[in-house]
Amino acid sequence: MAMTNHKSRGSQHSQQTQRGARGSAVSRLDRWRGYKHHHRTTLQSSFAKMLQEPFQTLLTVVVIAIALTLPTALYISVENIRQLSGGVESSAQISVFVKKGARSAAIEKLGEQLANLSGVASVTHISAATALEEFNALSGFGSALQYLDENPLPETFLVQPLLLNDSAKLVAKIHKITLVDDVQLDMEWLRRLGALLDVGRKLVLALAAALGIGVILVIGNTIRLAIQSRRDEIVIVKLVGGTDAYVRRPFLYTGLLFGFFGAFVAALMLVGLGFWLEESVSELASLYQSQFRLTGLGFSGFLTLLVIGGVVGLAGAWVSVRQHMYDIKPR
Amino acid sequence: MIRFDNLSKRYTGGFEALRSVSFEMDSGEMAFLTGHSGAGKSTLLKLLMLIERPTSGNLLINGKNINRLSASKIPFYRRQVGVVFQNHQLLFDRSVFENVALPLQVSGYSPSDIGRRVRAALDSVGLLDREKHNPIELSGGEQQRVGIARAVVHKPKILLADEPTGNLDPQLSAEIMDLFKRFQDVGVTVLVASHDINLINKMNMRIMRLNQGELEWDGVGHGND
Repeated sequence: MAMTNHKSRGSQHSQQTQRGARGSAVSRLDRWRGYKHHHRTTLQSSFAKMLQEPFQTLLTVVVIAIALTLPTALYISVENIRQLSGGVESSAQISVFVKKGARSAAIEKLGEQLANLSGVASVTHISAATALEEFNALSGFGSALQYLDENPLPETFLVQPLLLNDSAKLVAKIHKITLVDDVQLDMEWLRRLGALLDVGRKLVLALAAALGIGVILVIGNTIRLAIQSRRDEIVIVKLVGGTDAYVRRPFLYTGLLFGFFGAFVAALMLVGLGFWLEESVSELASLYQSQFRLTGLGFSGFLTLLVIGGVVGLAGAWVSVRQHMYDIKPR
Repeated sequence: MIRFDNLSKRYTGGFEALRSVSFEMDSGEMAFLTGHSGAGKSTLLKLLMLIERPTSGNLLINGKNINRLSASKIPFYRRQVGVVFQNHQLLFDRSVFENVALPLQVSGYSPSDIGRRVRAALDSVGLLDREKHNPIELSGGEQQRVGIARAVVHKPKILLADEPTGNLDPQLSAEIMDLFKRFQDVGVTVLVASHDINLINKMNMRIMRLNQGELEWDGVGHGND
């Protein structure tokens, strides 16, 4: 019925067809619009396809999220400890002991000299008398000191270096001053902490690499299943002139979305972890009379995590597409 | 338009599907390809669609030798060719409209352009009122017409059909052939593979008959011997 009905308009239609045949070249603007539209609809349909299997999708996203959370949490811990040790570093001081019998004018001059050295933040003078008083009050050996003829404690300067790294140079410089008897810088434990943090950072990298490969494999497997379930579509698209880029695009978008969502859930987990730890950490800090507070992921960290998730997701999809899509050929 | 120059195709198993086949088709010409199953009809069409590559000989389209076409250029070649399959190869996870739109989406047409062209193609096969249906709801003849609409929606210069009436009754088959004839009328080069001798004899057109990979008849009429 439709056919006979149509035949009455046949001649009119063939004219239309002919005109269309001549004007079938696609303009550049149209091509760009079509391209944009295609990307948008591909992204939308990739997302819709993920929602069609909510349980499977959720499972994959959570696995990715956990794999991203572990190294990120360790990284944040290392950064926090580094910050804490940074606070200690800045309190590292150089003790300068003055030779016995120096005159008070010379001592005052020495103080100025120290303060003028480059790399010195501040200089505090502790006179022998003050030191003795402090010793008396704190040590409990006060009565023993009464038996001494003179104050055994030297005049002391506490020099605060601007940078911890410069302190060794500073010590050498101060050593050369004639009035100086001895210089002490106790930072061995700081060096050890620094080395420990280096180990921690390397662990973060190793863990991130291992779990990153894990995420790539998880996403790769998910994409492999998606490719297999859309085999017919791939064949037809190839037959009507779809390029490889066109065929793989929806799968790359799917990988990207999985990575994004995984990273997003990982960020949520980290925020939750932060809240959970916050109270205990601040209690611990208060016991050490410290103002230390946990530093979380932060906004830029969140964005970085999203980018990393997206890149890893894309990589997983790419690996899978390379392995499985090119086998599918029209027959 | 199409020129086969001593084309042979031997599959990896050693089976010789085509033996030095030579013929030429002009632009806007229509011809039928016939022969028993296994005579090489499908292989010949697959060579034209670049699904298979010939073992020897030259295949020229528009004067260009497409034997040397690189893999990355194949999609762009296929955009000039429309193909109708025996089992229509429609996707049942989307509407008739989206099925027909596929070749245009692949070529990067804009959405408004796609809408216009898909409706024109569906109109030309008389299925404009079915655009929102799922192809699975349609009859066999209607599904085949959707397949034809998809094959012509991007105005290909060459239209190939592999047993397009294989599963249809004579009445529907005749309608489908009329449809192909109309595309020839507007300048499309049409090559239809079919073993339906009675039907193609009635069409009174050029017939090429393959027998065991060799072209044993090329002329008007006399599809049977």
